Amino acid sequence: MNLDFTEAERAFQQDVRQWMAANIPPEVTERTARGEMLDKALQQRWEKKLGSKGWLAVTWPDAYGGPGWNATQRYIFDLERASAGAPAASPFGVSMVGPVLYSFGSEAQKSHYLPSILDGSTLWCQGYSEPNAGSDLASLKTKAVRDGDHYLVNGQKIWTTQAHWADMIFCLVRTDSEVKAQRGISFLLIDMKTPGIEIRPIRSIDGHHHLNEVFFNDVKVPVENLVGEEGMGWTIAKFLLTHERTTIAGVADTKRELERLKKTLKSTPSGMNASRWDDADCQRRVAELEIELTALEYTNFRTVAATDEGRPFGPESSGLKIKGTELQQKVSQAFVELGGPLSLTWDNDDEIGSTAFNRATRRYNFLRACTIYGGTNEIQKNVIAKMLLDL
Amino acid sequence: MDFKFTSEQSQLEDSARRFLKDQYSFDTYLQQLDADDQIDNARWQQMAELGWFGLPFAESTGGYDGSLVDTCLVTKEIGAALSIDPYIDRVLMPGKLLEYVDTDASKTLLSALIEGDTSIALGLYEESAHYDVSAPVSTLKNGRLNGKKHFVSHINDDKHDNKNKVIALVTHNGEHALVLVSLAQPGVATQSYRMLNGTRASSITFSDTEVTDKAILARGQAAHDAVEKVLDYSRVTECAYMYGAAKAVYEKTLEYARMRRQFGTSIGSFQVIQHYLVDMFIDLQQLESMLWMMAVKGESTDAITRKKAVSCGKNYFAKTAVLIAQQAIQIHGGIGVTEELDIGHHFRQITHLSLSNGDANFHLQRYIQCDQQEASND
Ligand SMILES: Cc1cc2nc3c(=O)[nH]c(=O)nc-3n(C[C@H](O)[C@H](O)[C@H](O)COP(=O)(O)OP(=O)(O)OC[C@H]3O[C@@H](n4cnc5c(N)ncnc54)[C@H](O)[C@@H]3O)c2cc1C
Repeated sequence: MNLDFTEAERAFQQDVRQWMAANIPPEVTERTARGEMLDKALQQRWEKKLGSKGWLAVTWPDAYGGPGWNATQRYIFDLERASAGAPAASPFGVSMVGPVLYSFGSEAQKSHYLPSILDGSTLWCQGYSEPNAGSDLASLKTKAVRDGDHYLVNGQKIWTTQAHWADMIFCLVRTDSEVKAQRGISFLLIDMKTPGIEIRPIRSIDGHHHLNEVFFNDVKVPVENLVGEEGMGWTIAKFLLTHERTTIAGVADTKRELERLKKTLKSTPSGMNASRWDDADCQRRVAELEIELTALEYTNFRTVAATDEGRPFGPESSGLKIKGTELQQKVSQAFVELGGPLSLTWDNDDEIGSTAFNRATRRYNFLRACTIYGGTNEIQKNVIAKMLLDL
Repeated sequence: MDFKFTSEQSQLEDSARRFLKDQYSFDTYLQQLDADDQIDNARWQQMAELGWFGLPFAESTGGYDGSLVDTCLVTKEIGAALSIDPYIDRVLMPGKLLEYVDTDASKTLLSALIEGDTSIALGLYEESAHYDVSAPVSTLKNGRLNGKKHFVSHINDDKHDNKNKVIALVTHNGEHALVLVSLAQPGVATQSYRMLNGTRASSITFSDTEVTDKAILARGQAAHDAVEKVLDYSRVTECAYMYGAAKAVYEKTLEYARMRRQFGTSIGSFQVIQHYLVDMFIDLQQLESMLWMMAVKGESTDAITRKKAVSCGKNYFAKTAVLIAQQAIQIHGGIGVTEELDIGHHFRQITHLSLSNGDANFHLQRYIQCDQQEASND
């Protein structure tokens, strides 16, 4: 048993740290320090920067242009990225459709789509959920009917994050309603500029526009945009669920957020105290969160080590998403509550006490969603229970 | 980074598991609870023969140079078996204290302990100390010791022979001292009782008990540091015990949920029960991660690193292992709250350890202090 990084890993960590310090646009770190998210232009500028270094699609094997890192390196990269104050890359291209394409796509699809995901020039979104198909995704109804060398797509997607930014959408569509629900689903790539696609924004409680409804009205999609074969959509969707677990817990960002909270408490004057940090309750609250984070961090380490030993889905990895999202919520909630009245402001330009507190509810409100998206925590528990009880 | 055990460690774990499976059962445990003398000589001797007594001590004192990870592998199995054989209190703690004191006299005593020739308990806690052992009221003055120590493990009122000794932490000339006293000495009185986990312990009263200079094992900072270190060592092994117990409880509960039928189906088919089980399982994974973190960092030569890691882990164990045991009882229904099933006894063990050598709150405060020290050192 050895819980330290090797010398080579520490050297790698230094390299990444130096690159981050020299290459993250200052506008990005400023926003992170205030607890704000990036707009499309800034997010894409940052992703292209990563792409130019070959560090955007970090999970990809080197054969497809990834850096060929092992899980430990990916984990270290994520830590350094977060602590330097930059957000992760948007997942839809690099973490979702990319791996789907190099695992199930045709040669033509690979050479057509992968390069522009690698360099950050094409933005993707994910069209799975529908108004009546959330957790019960297999009941989705958006239809794709074969018509010569095209599919005709009709239906509606919802909760489509960044659809208004995206060039492309990957969709689960129903190509067969006669067979068992799961078997009638196919995986289709659709150009967002295709006539018949309409986007309606949905504002979320953080005050931002991330979410959309996407309507498909007789949208013509070339058959070569089908990934794999008809009916393989469900298999592909399930593959993605188990694709990458080394950073799913969000340890790196939660760590950064706790540090940010601590720093904010220490630098915010308060009543008779020199700072909020002098309040013993603040110290207790932060310490308890740090301890929970330590447990999660070492569970994550076990997953990383097991992945590098060729056992990526050991029992230790099954709770990472649940524990990780719970902790993200708890830390963001502590940020709001420990800010007290300073957290009540919404859109003031002038700092009142601390911008980090002034903006804390944005992140907190946003993160109410993290136990819902990507499969709700209840659904995660159903899946794990099935495994434990052999049901 | 890796969390792998060496082949020697896996063998040690296997042999501990096998030994306990062969030599210990719920019935053994129930008999042991009722006994006045809870140290079963035959089994105690077998544990010595397995090499457990010398496991974490230097070869020069007759030991095997084992690490804290090694002793955790053993205590985890002891916890899983519900065994109350006092390996932690009567081997690891006195032995480690003698090792940390590191004098010729302490080494001789340690060798005797490893050989099974002597039996030593620690008297650290006093009535008004809460978990803070840094200001003992018991005082040694002019060669005479007066005071009272509580919760001294496995001391019986009728075992007052020269082989049975206690090392007490006392105040001497305004500083700490660790003194060795034989239970057979005049001026030593014991009063024994049962603890929450069913083990016997004693309060020991010293009344003008003679303590020669030779019987002072350590003084001042050396005594203080040795006690701090031994408490941390035992905390980690106690967490290993809790982990073993929590794992056993989880496995038994999973089995029970499969087997127990209500409403014409197994209770494991109810979603609320499924989610409880998943919560237990995930918490157990977190406990295991925490355990190995503590076992490795618990031997750090940097005192702040060690203390912070141990308090971090113990705080988490004190909350989370207890939660697992509580959920296990809930899933068992009525039978879970009885003394007839092992689940309730595991619950007592886990609760006991969550409150011994510092509870969640004590360790949270200690973690915060370490964090402050770290920050001011930066
Ligand atoms: C911020 C955000 C971003 C998103 N981005 C995308 C995206 O980009 N693309 C996309 O396709 N989707 C996206 N989603 C959708 C997301 O995947 C769904 O919201 C999610 O799958 C849950 O579906 P639902 O909202 O319809 O809730 P429902 O399925 O209706 O669930 C409601 C409640 O019932 C519970 N529940 C449902 N079934 C069960 C069951 N069997 N057992 C126990 N409890 C159950 C759920 O856990 C939940 O608490 C996003 C969602 C959010 C909030």
